[in-house]
Amino acid sequence: MDRKVAIVGQAQTKHSEDTGMPRERMLFELVKGLFGQFGMTRHDIDTFVLCSNDFETGRTISNVFEDTPVGAYMKDETKVEADGAWAVMYAATRILSGIYDTALVVANSLGGSEFRPYLIMDYQLNPTYDRQLALINEPSAAAFQARSYMDKYGMTDAYLDMIAARLLRNAARNPNALRAKADATPEYVAGSEYLYEPLRKLHCYPFTDGACVLLLASGEKAKDLTDSPIWIKGLGDSIESYYLGERELFRSPSARLAAERAYKMAGISDPKGQIDVAEVSAKFTHQEPIICEALGLFPEGSGGEVAEKGLSEIDGDMPVCPSGGALGAYPFSAAGAIRVAECFRQLTGSAGEAQVANAGTAVAHGQDGFCAQHNAVIVLTVEEG
Amino acid sequence: MAAQERIVASVVVPFDYTYNYRVGPYLERYIQELGVKKIMAVKCEGCGNVVVPPRKICGECKRVMDEWVEVGPAGTVENYTVGHVTLNKGLAEPADPPVMLALIKLDGATSLLAGEVRRTEPAELKNGLRVKAIFADPAENNLSDLDHFEPAG
Amino acid sequence: MRNVAIIGVGYTPVFVSKRKDVNIVEMISEAVDAAFRNTNLTPDDIDSITFGNMQTFEGLNLPHLWAADHISALGKPTIRISTGGTTGMSTLQAAYYQVASGLYDVVMAVTWEKQSEGDSQVGLAGIVMPEVMVMVQNGMDLFGGRGIGGMGGGSTGAASYQATSYLHHSGASPEHIDKMAALERTNASKNPYAHLRKATTVEDIQATPFISWPLRYGHTCPTSDGATVAIVVSEEKAAKLADQAAWINGVACCASDPTTANLIEGQITDPAEQQPARIAAEKAFAMAGIKNPRKEIDMAELYNGFAHQSLMWLEKLGLCKEGEAHKMLDKGALDIDGELPTNASGGVFSTNAIGASAMNRPAECALQIMRKIEGGHQIPKKVRNALAHGWGGLFQYVTVMIISDEPRKA
Repeated sequence: MDRKVAIVGQAQTKHSEDTGMPRERMLFELVKGLFGQFGMTRHDIDTFVLCSNDFETGRTISNVFEDTPVGAYMKDETKVEADGAWAVMYAATRILSGIYDTALVVANSLGGSEFRPYLIMDYQLNPTYDRQLALINEPSAAAFQARSYMDKYGMTDAYLDMIAARLLRNAARNPNALRAKADATPEYVAGSEYLYEPLRKLHCYPFTDGACVLLLASGEKAKDLTDSPIWIKGLGDSIESYYLGERELFRSPSARLAAERAYKMAGISDPKGQIDVAEVSAKFTHQEPIICEALGLFPEGSGGEVAEKGLSEIDGDMPVCPSGGALGAYPFSAAGAIRVAECFRQLTGSAGEAQVANAGTAVAHGQDGFCAQHNAVIVLTVEEG
Repeated sequence: MAAQERIVASVVVPFDYTYNYRVGPYLERYIQELGVKKIMAVKCEGCGNVVVPPRKICGECKRVMDEWVEVGPAGTVENYTVGHVTLNKGLAEPADPPVMLALIKLDGATSLLAGEVRRTEPAELKNGLRVKAIFADPAENNLSDLDHFEPAG
Repeated sequence: MRNVAIIGVGYTPVFVSKRKDVNIVEMISEAVDAAFRNTNLTPDDIDSITFGNMQTFEGLNLPHLWAADHISALGKPTIRISTGGTTGMSTLQAAYYQVASGLYDVVMAVTWEKQSEGDSQVGLAGIVMPEVMVMVQNGMDLFGGRGIGGMGGGSTGAASYQATSYLHHSGASPEHIDKMAALERTNASKNPYAHLRKATTVEDIQATPFISWPLRYGHTCPTSDGATVAIVVSEEKAAKLADQAAWINGVACCASDPTTANLIEGQITDPAEQQPARIAAEKAFAMAGIKNPRKEIDMAELYNGFAHQSLMWLEKLGLCKEGEAHKMLDKGALDIDGELPTNASGGVFSTNAIGASAMNRPAECALQIMRKIEGGHQIPKKVRNALAHGWGGLFQYVTVMIISDEPRKA
């Protein structure tokens, strides 16, 4: 592959339960801020890839009013309606095609203040069957998935609490996180109310308003724009069956396949050895071990042991979600893009108190669907290679 | 200049759209058979999976499934959760008493069917519990003709 | 730049008002099957899938998740694109970029709509429903302020402003709209995959009542249930997998700002301006190496929700001079056997499964180039270069593709 693509900049909102301003204003401020960082204007952007959701915005064609505030008017623009990780991958293909040198990815959701994430998920259900019966919803499906992993590998609730507490503590080191607690303990997490057992409120992602913008550029252009471009070395995604009753919920074959594709492209043959930090989109605590194991970061079924030994702590063997991950903030369409942005911060040494030492290679993950039916994996590196 | 009397910071916009979905021939037959207390599945000739509720295509084999098989009405719980909330248009409301949900392998099926389990205590709800389908009587010609599951005792 | 070709198309067997016999995913699977049959490919040959529709029409969020088992997507990369009326072409463009990037060689683009299951007017009004509701709740008199109401509440209201302006600037008359409508409906009568297939005369059109002058019922598109799938491949794969190919040589898109809030393009005073059409067309022509579009483009498939738009887009896209389109119509130049056959398929005006509508345009161009048109609307002359156009959003998005019988020269 002759063409290369890198991320040269990122910006995120301070994620919140209520951003306190209209979506258009939120986007305008964010994009303007990023342009300011680079002394750029919208005319320096060759193509815009937006990412938002019709049901969440309450508007057929969610991008109609987003084009103006992000500067995409009279320019090349398109919209992905999926998790932000897919918008990043699509923007990368546009640059790799050779037709564009710069791309701006803008992903956003006001799922905290404007609409209800669980209802947005309900609308994904088969309307002729699952939606009619209303037995499966996002937290009940996630509960089945948690039970499946816990039964298969003998992991208990206590470990769910430990994972959540670690993420809350990490989130306290992330200036953009919504839900954070510097001294969070498993007992604190266990004090939150049950939704569907074994899942408690603090095991589940918070409803979040937020946005993320990423500036991508082709190889030469990236090196013009910054001294520390972060290279998109590999990307891949895969989808599983919609039918929950036919899936093995304790593992994620689609995350595994997505990772294999991304790793192959990036030349990663030993994920544990070659990856320094991982940002995964685990919307519920039990999804963290499932996804990390699918990404080859930990052995299958090791969720309890990893939590017990602190292997995924910021200073552990394989740091996972130093940002606090999805439990710290989860704006519906922006989430996967935020994972990419957090990897960018790590690899450029700008993650502040959440910094993983000597991070050279990172993996970002995004998901869509019930129990992570659809998964995307992106490998990012400091070395151009 | 007059003081600003009212600031409109946010507005509620109620949408109420009605959709009418075709269920398709597979689900149509499934519902009809529920009306006579039969649970019907389809079998994939490629992988041998017996799938309920029935549908046209086996995604793994990419084949149309057209062999119909009766399954249940008894089955085994293979996954479960006790719900302390129900969702009302996306908002969690307390469920008291808690709701018991299970993924049930009906006898003869390979797929798991989501169902609500009643007439038992949360402590009894575990993998391996034998349950049976309870049908609505009289039948109403919709999906809730398979109303819920109870321990098979 | 890697060359990318369309090697096959699959349609649902029909595009009709209501597919009562199937559910959504069963319907989409028919077009996927048709694409495999028409190309002799199997699911194993597909590297990746792009997927698009306008989801509020079915009240179904991220429908690719439910559809995955039914479109041979399991285990494959899949991405969903959704850009309003341009969705069909944006979804095909996503597939194009996936192949052009070098990351994938064979990509299937799946687009569809099952509008009978929702309420289209509500779906369309949903674009600005929040604004309309806010205005109503805060005391604005929408019925007194007919101008705003017309723009916001349903596309015919806004389109009638566009048509009026177009007639004024071009010198075309309302009878030209009638004539274009009759031409396209008659084209559609030869197209087994069109929805409205009755051969229609100018008198038939003129017998229909006005909705909002100058637009009559006879000038408006239907809402259809249907799906369109296209398979795109790299140059090497085209040589291996297909006996014929139609080359995507130009790809472009331009977004204006939305009609009701616009200050920049002048839409609120002139929805016929449509600058994005000129910008996108010029970019696509340049990419395709087309120096003289009026000479080199042999056919056009234009996104026309309303019959006047065929004439308007010809001018805005640079396929003829301003004010010339209706003269070409009068001369017969836009007929199937004319110099610039326009909407030989009948256009969106005759078939509108909205998520697929902007993909039907390049699909028809590809089939015309490969001479694989089923039915009687094959353009008799040789088609070297075709222009496919998509339109959507709040009168704001334009997508253009130039499809040719040979790949772009390096």
